[in-house]
Amino acid sequence: MEKDWQPKILAFLCNWCSYAGADLAGTSRVQYSPNIRVIRVPCSGRINPLFILKALQSGVDGVLVSGCHPGDCHYLSGNYAGRRKSATLKRFLEFLGIEQGRVQFSWVSAAEGGKFSQVVDEVTRDIKRLGPLKKFKKSS
Amino acid sequence: MKLKLDKKNFEDFLKSLMEEYDLYAPVQPVEGVSVFKKIEQPSEVNLTQLVPQKPAKDIFFPQSEVMFCYEMAGKQSRMNSMEEIKRERILFGARPCDIEAISIIEKIFVGEEYTDVYFLEKRRKTTIIGLGCNHPLSTCFCSSAGGDPFLRAGSDLFFIDLGETYFVELLTEKGAALRKNRFFKEVDPNDLTLVKELEGKAFEKVGYSIPVEGIEKRLDLMTESSFWDRVHEKCIGCAVCTYLCPTCHCFDMVDEALNNKGQRVRNWDSCLFPIYSLETSGHNPRPTGRERTRQRLMHKFNYFPKNFGRVACVGCGRCILYCPVQFDIREALLYASAKRAKGLKRKFR
Amino acid sequence: MAMIQKKLREKTKELLAKKEVDLVIGFSDWTLPLRTTPIFIRTPEGAEHLVWNSFCENNLAAYLHKFSRLKVGVVVKGCDARSVVALNLEKRFPNHPPLLIGVVCQRLVDRKKVKKAVKGEILQAVEQGDLLLVKGENFEVSLKRDDFLYPSCQSCTHRTPHQAHILIGDPVEEVSLVETHPEVGEFERKSPEERWDFFEKETSRCLRCYACREACPMCYCGECFVDSSRPKWIEKSLSPSDLAFYHIVRAYHQTGRCSGCGACERACPMDIRLTYLTQKLNQEVKDLYGFETGIQPEAAPPLSTFDPEDQQGFIK
Repeated sequence: MEKDWQPKILAFLCNWCSYAGADLAGTSRVQYSPNIRVIRVPCSGRINPLFILKALQSGVDGVLVSGCHPGDCHYLSGNYAGRRKSATLKRFLEFLGIEQGRVQFSWVSAAEGGKFSQVVDEVTRDIKRLGPLKKFKKSS
Repeated sequence: MKLKLDKKNFEDFLKSLMEEYDLYAPVQPVEGVSVFKKIEQPSEVNLTQLVPQKPAKDIFFPQSEVMFCYEMAGKQSRMNSMEEIKRERILFGARPCDIEAISIIEKIFVGEEYTDVYFLEKRRKTTIIGLGCNHPLSTCFCSSAGGDPFLRAGSDLFFIDLGETYFVELLTEKGAALRKNRFFKEVDPNDLTLVKELEGKAFEKVGYSIPVEGIEKRLDLMTESSFWDRVHEKCIGCAVCTYLCPTCHCFDMVDEALNNKGQRVRNWDSCLFPIYSLETSGHNPRPTGRERTRQRLMHKFNYFPKNFGRVACVGCGRCILYCPVQFDIREALLYASAKRAKGLKRKFR
Repeated sequence: MAMIQKKLREKTKELLAKKEVDLVIGFSDWTLPLRTTPIFIRTPEGAEHLVWNSFCENNLAAYLHKFSRLKVGVVVKGCDARSVVALNLEKRFPNHPPLLIGVVCQRLVDRKKVKKAVKGEILQAVEQGDLLLVKGENFEVSLKRDDFLYPSCQSCTHRTPHQAHILIGDPVEEVSLVETHPEVGEFERKSPEERWDFFEKETSRCLRCYACREACPMCYCGECFVDSSRPKWIEKSLSPSDLAFYHIVRAYHQTGRCSGCGACERACPMDIRLTYLTQKLNQEVKDLYGFETGIQPEAAPPLSTFDPEDQQGFIK
C-alpha cells in the first residue's frame, strides 16, 4: 500500500434525511473525513445493487448507503424495501469474498449532523484498515 | 514429404518448436473444458478431447481483441495501434474441421475489397499443424460438410497418430521449414499402409449422412416455409452454437473508456441475440426466434455457399454437443433437404 | 418410471383431444445419449413422443414466455413447478395461466459426471431400475444411478410438484441425500481470498453466451442489464471484472426467485459452477425472511415486500 494512500468512498445519501443530515453537519461546522464523494438519491430504496457494484468496479474503495430511519421515509416504505436489498446484497458480496466493511449502510436523519460525521469517520477508518480494493476493480 | 515422429520424443519435439515459435495447442481439460492456448510447458499439451470447446478460430480471431488503445494526458492524446506479432506462431493439434473453418473465415477477412489486418497478421505468421481424427465422434459429420477426418487442406504439416509414432506429412513451404527438425525420422512403408487403414476406418465411421450438396437451392424456396415456425421453438436464444462454431465470425466493436484511458475492442457477437439486429429506432427486423434461427441456418447454408461456393459449416458437431436444449443441426438439414428433394415428410422435433 | 411415462402420454393425449390446452411442452428422446430435448406437442398423436427419465434436465417453465398467447400445458418437476409459481406471483400469465402436468421427480442424472466416469464416447445410456447402463464402442458398464446425480438434485427436498394441476406419480417423502447445499458449505469454509479466487477462476471460463440466463425461467427481462447501453453497466469483453460483474448480478437478481432447479449450470458449455451462488441466496432469504421460492402460491416475493421488524443489525 502506498504511504499516502487515501480511500475513495462513494456515499449514496437519500434526499430527505441523510443528505440533509450531511448538510447540517456542514452548516454546523462539524468535521468529518474528506474521503467521501456524495451522490444524492431520492430515497435509499432507489439504490439499485448495480449502483454499488458499478461503483466498486469503477475504482472506489468503499460504498456507504444512507437513508431515513425506519418509519421516517418520505415515501413511507422506501427504506424498508431498500433494507431487504441491502441485507441480501451485503451478505452475498461477503459470501463471494468481498471484505466485510466495503459496503456499509446507515440511517441518518436530517437532524443528525453529528451522527453523519461519526458514520463517515467510522466507514473511512474501516476502509483504511482494509486498504485499497483489489478484487473486482477494473484495471485501467 | 513424409516423415515420422516417435511419441517418446513428443515433448522434446514440442520444446524444439517452442525455441523458435510461439506454440498454441489444446490443453488438459479443466473441469471437462479444453481450449486452445499459448503453451508455456510442453506437458500442457493434451490431445484427448477431439473437439475442444472453444474452436481454433480463437487463435486467429480471438473472442475479445483490442484493436487500438488511447490515453489522454492533459490536452495531449496518445494512440497505440495493435502490436505486430514478433514471433512466428505454430498452431498444433487442430483437427481438419477447425482448420477448414479457418480457411472459411479467411474468405471473409481476407477478401478482394477488404483485408482485416488483425486476422491477416496472425494468419500469415502461423504455421498450422493438423492432426487426423482416428476416432471421429458420433456427432461428427465433416464428410457431409465437404471435409473429411484426414483432410490435409489448410494444414502446413499433418500428423496422424499411429499408436507409438506420429506419421508426419509436410505439405507446404511453411511446413517444409520444419523438415530439418532433429526428431523427425524416415517413414516406414508399413506406416503408409497403416495410414490407409486408419483413414478407411474413420471415413466409414463418419459416413455421409447429411445431404448438404445443393442445399442452398432448396433453402431458396423455403424463406417463408412453415418449417421456421417450428424449428426455432426449442431454441432458447443463447450463443453457445455461434460462439463455439468454428466458422461463425460475427463481431461487435465497442469503445471501452475508463478515466483518461480507453480502447476499441471487438468481441464475438451472435445472430441469435435479439440485440444483434436491434436498430436505434427500437425496430428489430428479426423480432423473434423464428427469424433469428432462420438467419443462422440461411447464412451457413444459403448465403455463404452462394457468395463463396461452400457451406459455412464444417461438421465439427460442437453446436450439437453443447446446445443446452439439444438443437441438432443435422436434423434441421435433413428435414430441409428431405422435404424438397424426396417429398419425404420428416417430422421435426 | 415407465409407468410415469405411460401416464404422461395418456394425460397429454386426453388434454389435447379435449382441447383443454393448445400445446403441451414436454421432453422427448433425441439424438444424444444421456439427454432429452424439449418437445412441443399440438396433436393427441404427438403425445407418443413424450418421454420421462432421469435425463429430463431442462426447466420447461423457461418456454412459457414464448407461448404466452396459447393455452399451454407444461411438464414440470418439483423445481420447475416452483418456478411457475414464482412467475405467477410476478404476474407473468395475465391471459392463460399454464396447466401444470407435474411429475414426481426421481432426481436427475448428471451427464457430465457420467462422462467423467467412463473412457471413450458414450453412445447409449439406458436406465434399468437403480442402474444406469452405459455403452460405448468398446465398453459397457452399469453404474449406480444415485452416484451420478446433479448436486442440486442431491440436496432437493421438493421433488413432488404439489402445485401441479395434474400429478403423475405418488408423492414421496422429501429428504435430502446430502447435507443441505454441500456446495455452499464447502465454499463458505474457505477464506474470503480463496472464495474470491474460486469465483473468479470459475467465471474466467465464461464465454458470455448467456446460456445460463436463457435457460432460466426467471430471466425474462425485456432488456438484460448486460445489453443495456444507456446506462452502460458493463462492457462486453472478457475482463475478469466484467465477467464477475455479470455473474454477481445474474445470481443476485434471482434473490427470492430461484427454485434451485440447476438449469443454469447444466446449460453452461464451459461447466462453470453456478448453483452455489443462487443456493446461497436461497439460504439467505430463508434465514432472513423465512421465504422459499414457489412453495406458498400467495406469499409475496421477499424483495418486493418488507416487514417493519426486518433484521437491521448491519445498519449503523
